[in-house]
Amino acid sequence: MKRRKFIRNLGLGTAATIGVPYLLPSGRLFAASGVRKANHVVFCLFAGGVRNLESVHKNDGNLMPYTLKGTEGISSDIISGINFVPPNTGITLQEQGTLYKEFRMKYGPTGHYGAHATAMTGVYTGENLNINANPQYPTIFELYRKHNSPSMSAKNAWWISNSLGAYAHLNYSTYEGYGPDFGANYIQPASIISQEGFDNLGNSRIYNNTEEEKITALRGFCDAHFSSQYNGAANSITNTEEDKVEIEAFINQCFIEAAAGQFNDPWGIGGGLYNNDMQTVNFAEKIIQEYKPELLVVNMQDVDIAHSNFTLYANNIQKADYALAHLWNTIQNTPGMAEDTILIAMPEHGRNQDGNGLYDGYGREALDHTNDDYSREIFSLILGPSGIVVQDQVFSQEKGESIDIVPTIANILGFDNDLPGGLLNGNILTESFY
Amino acid sequence: MKKLIFIFSVLLLFSCKKEKKITYQLNDVTIENNSANKDHLKSTIEFISIAYSDIFGTVVSTNKLAELSQIYKAFGDKKLIEQMVIKNFLNEPSTQIPQIDRSSTSTINSFVQNVYTKLYNRTPDEYELWFISNMIENDTDLTSELIYFSLMTANEYRYY
Repeated sequence: MKRRKFIRNLGLGTAATIGVPYLLPSGRLFAASGVRKANHVVFCLFAGGVRNLESVHKNDGNLMPYTLKGTEGISSDIISGINFVPPNTGITLQEQGTLYKEFRMKYGPTGHYGAHATAMTGVYTGENLNINANPQYPTIFELYRKHNSPSMSAKNAWWISNSLGAYAHLNYSTYEGYGPDFGANYIQPASIISQEGFDNLGNSRIYNNTEEEKITALRGFCDAHFSSQYNGAANSITNTEEDKVEIEAFINQCFIEAAAGQFNDPWGIGGGLYNNDMQTVNFAEKIIQEYKPELLVVNMQDVDIAHSNFTLYANNIQKADYALAHLWNTIQNTPGMAEDTILIAMPEHGRNQDGNGLYDGYGREALDHTNDDYSREIFSLILGPSGIVVQDQVFSQEKGESIDIVPTIANILGFDNDLPGGLLNGNILTESFY
Repeated sequence: MKKLIFIFSVLLLFSCKKEKKITYQLNDVTIENNSANKDHLKSTIEFISIAYSDIFGTVVSTNKLAELSQIYKAFGDKKLIEQMVIKNFLNEPSTQIPQIDRSSTSTINSFVQNVYTKLYNRTPDEYELWFISNMIENDTDLTSELIYFSLMTANEYRYY
């Protein structure tokens, strides 16, 4: 081969290696620029306001035996107020990843919605936060759907929330160039998989394929004749028609299962133990099993009972701990997600050092969360495959902020380099990964 | 000579006549951009209340409205949840959807006009009237329920 031809062929080959997307054995197409650590991320907001004193500092004993190592007993004055979940007989979550004991939500009001928005956008909120509106900055869902290559449908991004209110706004932002076209599928299962949900959605008229074709033709004619302003410009994310059919069938199947009692005790621990956090996580697990989404965010909120009852707060911490471990166990037992998922858990904020003057039946004072130092102290846990996430690693000194989660997720899914400069100020938690 | 006179006479008889002036007239039809007068998105409560009223011919109860509003808020894909809500409405035995009288073009047109007036609060333009009436005439399986569902889940129904 002549020298010039050899050099030309070498150049072409190199260019092809750099520029052409490649297929992984799984069949998924990647852009060459995005190296992923894993193909799925589940972010569990261990939310409602958990103070480090009750979680990683174990002031009242180890209320999180599924997450934290240690056998410290529960304080004797509240132990009779705890409705214990089954004991952990296996390895703790902290041994399966990296634990940041002194994470911080450094700025912004320590309110639930603002702190959720901070965790899900990677940007601290200000005092002028409007809880009746979508967040100002792009959510992790929008960043993922806009900048991941190739772009993924809404069926790959889910936001599952414990309660309604402002949380329904967190599936997309008002930021220019983002918005509902890049948002996540949102569902609050407590309102859908309920008696009211079943009464209003559980008796659906089913159309056959021929009827669906007629509907599509007629609706298509109407839409073509009406200058459509609905898709994107209105207040909704939009699934593809095929995905809509799938999701509708999935919801209808959930109604069937709920009517058959399968939601009463899905984890086999006794129906009386479940709170809304556990039911919410159970639904997130169903989404994981059904869709194997690349990005799912689920939150818990029941520990917020701490505003009025400390002992019930402690009780709900150990239930949230159980739910988190069950979520991780489900991921590890779901083909397509097992060994290819990184789970991140973090409370959205802590709670005040001082009580609010309300005492429960066990003599414990209730706790609010109003921007003091304790309400900014949280923990974070990153779990993942042993070759990817550093195992059994603990940072006991202050390290990491709640705005670091979004850039870390972007890095895990391989699109962090494609994000516009200046949008995020947080850091990738690189020390968690090999 | 006689032959020439005969030929000339024949040509005279069948020669070109002066063309009559005929003027064709068209009836005026209204075809317009239907979004021009509809740029207000219905609120959740408005959408549910109007849809219920359009299907059942009565006002939705406060409890039912509260339940449906909560379900609506609890779901991200609003178009999908609207479709699911309306499908459930349509499966109730107490729906008040008129049947199509297919006895003549006139009765079919009348049905289409009434549907547009009820659901879109306007009369259909000539093209819409022709298109949907033609669909109904050519497809006996196209029921009034399918037409209602299609129009109620189209974009225009979301606006007023």
